[in-house]
Amino acid sequence: MASGNGKPLAEPKGSQLYEVLKGIDFERRELIGKPRSAGLFDLVKDGGRYRCYACTLCERTCPADCIEIDYCPEYPELSWDTGAELAAVSAAQPEIDMKPFDAVVARLRDGYGLIEAFHTTQETYGYLPRQVLESIAAELSLPLSRVYGVATFYTQFRLKPVGKYVIDVCMGTACHVAGAPLIVEAFSQELGIPIGETTADRLFTLQTVNCVGACALAPVVRVGDDDTHGRMTPNTARKLVRQLCKREEA
Amino acid sequence: MATAISRAARVERALERATKADGHISNDAGRELRICAGTACHASGRLAIKKAIADELERHGLSDQVAIVETGCHGFCQQGPIVVIRPQGIFYPQLKPRDIPRVIEKSVLGDEVAEDLLYRDPVSGDPVALEAEIPFYALQRRLVLALNGKIDPHSIRDYIAHGGYRALAKVLAEGDPEAVIDLVDASGLRGRGGAGFPAARKWRFTRATQAERKFLICNADEGDPGAFMDRSVLEGNPHSVIEGMLIGAFAIGATDGYVYVRHEYPFAVERLRIALDQAREQGLLGPNILDSGFDFDIRVNQGAGAFVCGEETALLASIEGHRGMPRPRPPYPAVSGLWGYPTNTNNVETWANVPWIVNNGTEAYDAMGTGTAKGTKIFSLTGKVTNGGLVEVPMGATLRRVIFDIGGGMLPGRHFKAVQLGGPSGGCLPERLLDTPIDFESLIASGSMMGSGGMVVVDDTTCMVDFARYFLKFTSEESCGKCVPCRVGSARMLEILDRICAGQGEPTDLDRLQTMADDVIEGSLCALGGTAPNPVLTTLRYFRDEYEAHVLEHRCPAKVCRPLIRYTVDADACTGCHVCFGACPVNAISGERKQAHVINQKLCTKCDTCRQVCTFDAIDVDTGVLAVAEGRAS
Repeated sequence: MASGNGKPLAEPKGSQLYEVLKGIDFERRELIGKPRSAGLFDLVKDGGRYRCYACTLCERTCPADCIEIDYCPEYPELSWDTGAELAAVSAAQPEIDMKPFDAVVARLRDGYGLIEAFHTTQETYGYLPRQVLESIAAELSLPLSRVYGVATFYTQFRLKPVGKYVIDVCMGTACHVAGAPLIVEAFSQELGIPIGETTADRLFTLQTVNCVGACALAPVVRVGDDDTHGRMTPNTARKLVRQLCKREEA
Repeated sequence: MATAISRAARVERALERATKADGHISNDAGRELRICAGTACHASGRLAIKKAIADELERHGLSDQVAIVETGCHGFCQQGPIVVIRPQGIFYPQLKPRDIPRVIEKSVLGDEVAEDLLYRDPVSGDPVALEAEIPFYALQRRLVLALNGKIDPHSIRDYIAHGGYRALAKVLAEGDPEAVIDLVDASGLRGRGGAGFPAARKWRFTRATQAERKFLICNADEGDPGAFMDRSVLEGNPHSVIEGMLIGAFAIGATDGYVYVRHEYPFAVERLRIALDQAREQGLLGPNILDSGFDFDIRVNQGAGAFVCGEETALLASIEGHRGMPRPRPPYPAVSGLWGYPTNTNNVETWANVPWIVNNGTEAYDAMGTGTAKGTKIFSLTGKVTNGGLVEVPMGATLRRVIFDIGGGMLPGRHFKAVQLGGPSGGCLPERLLDTPIDFESLIASGSMMGSGGMVVVDDTTCMVDFARYFLKFTSEESCGKCVPCRVGSARMLEILDRICAGQGEPTDLDRLQTMADDVIEGSLCALGGTAPNPVLTTLRYFRDEYEAHVLEHRCPAKVCRPLIRYTVDADACTGCHVCFGACPVNAISGERKQAHVINQKLCTKCDTCRQVCTFDAIDVDTGVLAVAEGRAS
């Protein structure tokens, strides 16, 4: 047996794990001899919630390829194993127009990776709908879990639809020392939502971003893609929300 | 020999053709209004300024005599939006649309200056009219940024007219890849992304590996919060990066290139794409570049908000479409990188240095810098400094020169406390180390690092414990999760810092932080984990007294950590103007008009709004055991 870099693993004395590993033929993916500790797989629960956050590491490193992680956006509330509940999740997803998906496929066939395909998807739909992720998985002949694993790794991808105004509060260093935590708090208070959420009327989504590179104007807030506000204070943050609300009413 | 001559002639002819591309050519002696179109100036309203200028020129019937040029970042971001008037070179900062008629009247129609609109020296208060005379610019040595703010980044013709693609033509005409590597080797160019690995040595490794395809990557995933050098170079002069990559590709024998750029930089992405298209049109990219038989093309890949993707192997995984997780080396990417092919990665600034070295030779490059670090380095100077922006100085300049001479020092009434270099991987240096020369080795010895060039200055209003906690929070959130010491260790360290900031730290916590930091450094695979504890270690080393104040006295000296501070109204100073009453978001302030107000400590969330709106300086912030006890009791 060998580890990743080709060197043989040192044999740990008295290790049961080693005994088990020795009994598996990874090439043929079967147990050799008596199954000493096949056991049953389960996920650890903490206070009724799974501790697993689907990082997909186990799936990727499993030598026997026996783990598959499925996509399940409403994760903590749902159990994983009942097909009916998964179907309910699917049914609860809003209907989307799959026509723009061709652009995503074109991007993939052009040799770009998943990240670029996700960007194209998000530019079109505003988020990554489950249906699109499934189609991408089918296009690339990958398990959906793998696609989901990539989507959740990058903070810019969203699995839920966003509001009309996406408020990005910059959390760069310059903004931090200029009081960005107070700005986020002011937005959160004024909108009544925590970071990462969307208001019930689908008007506002509150997000943070690592740095927009406009440090001289710290603290900086960006609304949508192009509307940047510099030198914010908690007070101007609240005013900005009220202004946008007024614009909507008008 | 005959083929060499004809090859040189072919390249020369092809470059000559490219000079006839469409687009504006900037001219220092011509009548031009240069508007900075960098991200910061854009955010402070350059579009309104541009419109006002266009309208005003139209009104005077000057539209076809005076050119409006939208340049890349001028670097003096604190002063945006910036307009420079040519031929005089008059610098107008912080313009408003209503100022434009006067600016045009005085400096375009006439030959005067609108004095009240000029930049004022922060010390003497005297107006400075010319861009070249402003200390912020005059004390810099701009090499990579030389054309930033001068040329139109949307025009390849402008770049070529200013000597662009000359270096590539020279290299292709000579046709000797080894000579290019030797030249870069002799110049002593070291990677500008942080680690400072000699560029030529990396190139040589990749060149030596035999493969049918080789990749070349430009790392523009400038993840350090508070750093924007790469963004400005891509926004202001994208062709210099493309040219550098082309020269590198020729030297290495690479066939395909990628620029991996942050998605948070929309202007940089847009201008880079335009530049690539223009280069392709002019035969500077694609098959048979400049008729020399050399093929190379560049694609743009965007990141998606993962700091770890700035790490070389994680970046490769991300381009391939995986989770951006680093992998162990060897095999080095020079042997097996992107899709298993040999791959060479350098960052934006490194690539942008290459054409300059080819054009000006190693001696000129060697003349700048110290014994081990040559050339210049760009820093993004931000934080509590008077003149923030992009600063390019020769290696070996001291921190004091950058912060005080170029950056104009601290804001009025504030005292320098620390400078943070290298982002979340770097460290905080105190005042007594301000004379440290900026080079790779000196900074490492001080416990910090060069990093990619973020330089955040903080004053006495920043709590160093909170500052360290900020960076650790960042790295623990950005940890990819692969190595347990980094994933769990950074989270555990963060818990300790949270506790200290909440006034619940224990005396043993400081030693515990130290031990855990060593473990995280020791047990992590990549540089993210290997440097994540640096901000904690350096603040522990240089600002231990602040940690001790938090732990032993439950006091935050900078009055930042909210559980340890209390807001009160100074009854003598309060005029009862009622402004804070209206501004308080939680209605914690009570009081009649014209009478001193009172803050209800139970309701107060310490959001700082009242202090900011008070014009009479009547809101006091205090900290210490007494404040905490009283705050809890009431």
